[in-house]
Amino acid sequence: MIRNRGIGRLAAATLCGVVALAAPVWAQDAAPKAKGIESEGYQWNQMEGEKVEALTLTGDPKRGEAAFEVCSACHLPNGSGRPDGTFPQLAGQHRTVLIKQIADIRAGRRDNPIMYPFAKTLVDPQELADVAAYIETLPIPPNNGRGPGGDHLKRGEELYKVNCVKCHGPNGEGSMKDFFPVLAGQHYAYLLRQIRDIAGGKRRNANPDMVKLVKDFPDEDLQAVVDYMSRLGWPERTAKPGKQG
Amino acid sequence: MRRRGWTLAAVAAAALFGVQAMAQEPAPAGTEPAGTEATTPAAPLDGATLFMQRTCFACHGKDAKTPILPEYPKLAGQNEAYMVRQITDIKSGARNNGNTAAMQGILHLVNEDEIKALAAYLATLK
Repeated sequence: MIRNRGIGRLAAATLCGVVALAAPVWAQDAAPKAKGIESEGYQWNQMEGEKVEALTLTGDPKRGEAAFEVCSACHLPNGSGRPDGTFPQLAGQHRTVLIKQIADIRAGRRDNPIMYPFAKTLVDPQELADVAAYIETLPIPPNNGRGPGGDHLKRGEELYKVNCVKCHGPNGEGSMKDFFPVLAGQHYAYLLRQIRDIAGGKRRNANPDMVKLVKDFPDEDLQAVVDYMSRLGWPERTAKPGKQG
Repeated sequence: MRRRGWTLAAVAAAALFGVQAMAQEPAPAGTEPAGTEATTPAAPLDGATLFMQRTCFACHGKDAKTPILPEYPKLAGQNEAYMVRQITDIKSGARNNGNTAAMQGILHLVNEDEIKALAAYLATLK
């Protein structure tokens, strides 16, 4: 349906004679485009669509485990992703966060051309709820990719305590009810890519409050705070060392 | 839905081969910034293993001819030199059209030799 609409728009554009600019863009996007932070009137985490449905349904971790097989090709069966940050760590993430992010990718509000076709393989809001419920039960692996460490960690800790702790918590535990992600156990390289994208306006489903907070951070500060984050542990959900989730 | 069933089967198969292979590979250094060359283990390059380890199969299908989206190419039996050229150009940004956005996010996972090994392997597939 989405693709048909794209073709319809393409045909309309051709008729209008403006195809030179428009066609290549539409031709290369498999995903739809929803309004994000670049658009006037953008409201973060607006409660609408399949997200609301998935959030009200009770996820079944058993069914979610089966659905997760598709995800495990890149995120690995234990959810740990890759320490080089190509794919994020997912284990122990709040189900609300997972549902919101997948719904945003499906809707075209978070641009992720790698993830998009996989997000689309989830058949309905129930499966979205199931897979999120399953991922939330996985223990956070303790061996995530860390930053380079060293002198900037103190600066990172200060920045974290002033700017981040209120929403993401002292252990990086985030908030399930407020859709704030767990940071504990996340890979440094992934965190750095995301915070740079958020600060730079590239992450279109970002929370404007966070954008405001970090957009003027010099890159050294982003690196410092993210290095500190990559060392956070949330005892409640972190797997014991030596035990893989 | 048909696609979904297929994907599950592919990943189940991958769990037997690819992920097992991945477990044997030392984890990349956490400090390695995304976008740098992947470091290669000393073992001889095996295209079939790379195809699983570097997550190619996730999009192109375990048989390299059942892509997850119809816009993605079948690679099995494709010309070796053509694949090396395309992957290299997509990685460098010289080729920037079509679905290259998805590929550009992951091509730091393979270096020049690995690209050659992958293309040689894929060309042999029927």
